[in-house]
Amino acid sequence: MTPDQLAAQDAATKAFLAKKKAKAAARRQKGEEEPTLGMTSLMDIVSILVIYLLKSYASDPVVINPTAGQKIPFSAADASIQDGMPVFVTVRGITFQDKKLVTMDSEGNVDSSMVQNHLIGPLFDAFSEEADKAKQLAENRGTEWEGRLIIVGDQALKFSTLVDVLYTAGRAEFKEYTFCVIRKA
Amino acid sequence: MARRKKKEEEKVIEANLLPVMNIMFLLIPALLMAMEFASMAAINVSPPKFSSAPSEPQEEKKEQEKPLDLKVFIMEDGYRVEASGQQEGADAGKAADSSRPTIPLAKAGAPIDDYERYDFDALEAKAKEYKKLFPNDTTVKVSAESNVPMQVLITTMDSLAGRDCKIGKFMKGTEDVPDNCYFWQPIIEGGAG
Repeated sequence: MTPDQLAAQDAATKAFLAKKKAKAAARRQKGEEEPTLGMTSLMDIVSILVIYLLKSYASDPVVINPTAGQKIPFSAADASIQDGMPVFVTVRGITFQDKKLVTMDSEGNVDSSMVQNHLIGPLFDAFSEEADKAKQLAENRGTEWEGRLIIVGDQALKFSTLVDVLYTAGRAEFKEYTFCVIRKA
Repeated sequence: MARRKKKEEEKVIEANLLPVMNIMFLLIPALLMAMEFASMAAINVSPPKFSSAPSEPQEEKKEQEKPLDLKVFIMEDGYRVEASGQQEGADAGKAADSSRPTIPLAKAGAPIDDYERYDFDALEAKAKEYKKLFPNDTTVKVSAESNVPMQVLITTMDSLAGRDCKIGKFMKGTEDVPDNCYFWQPIIEGGAG
């Protein structure tokens, strides 16, 4: 081989290696490209779920979260609950606006120190206060206050206690009463 | 020049969905938590009505047609049913007889916390009977003894309304009251009946 031929071969090898290196670099660079996540199908699922949940939420404007251990009575009634103030009356106590206002004795009757002639003192104060607020709010809106009380009772609740609650609500100017029940399947 | 313009037009701008997804994923647990897993319903009851002195025309009307004035008293040993001021099953000459129920218990001797011990079928049949006689009457006065549990009161009101009575659509104003609804407007009365 002549020195010219050797130089040409060396140059060809160098060119080949350079080309190979460039190709490898190009391949490496391609591999570093960020992968994109297809969000369309996920968005479809999420949107359908949100619409379904919003619809089921909108059909019942009042959310009733029973207190611990409360067993709401079952009924064949199918009327939906209208907007109102819920009061939770169980065999252990009466809760209104997230405050346990009245405690019951071991037999499920209202503590005798809290009730006088069917009027449950602490409950009457709370009812009156809320009724005043609601009336003021309705007046500002230019609407009439409906005065609806939703009684979320207990299966074992005594009729006498229920009557005391109704009487107290009546004295606090509530006009309409609704018993909250669980719809029988 | 035209090719360059076309290339620019073809460039798709992808919307940034991340904030939307963030909101959606916050909404889902919030709505799930607020969701009711047991379907709730409502029974509208009226407090006892106190009538004022009636005027003359009303009195005339009263004379023309005698109201049903259906009253059901839940006792520990059964139901006492009263219509037009007369208890059904009372001794002759007596308006009421507290010693004997009109509809005795279906399960005599069962404890008070057995909510199925009352004869709800017989009460429903009685309500149906009265409804045939007074088709325009929808109210019933319900009272009970002190220890009667709320579940019994609710099932009694269901029986008086008719257990197949679905008035949800009527309440929404989309339908008339179905024919199988009897006395669906209960008035709760306190004390002994």
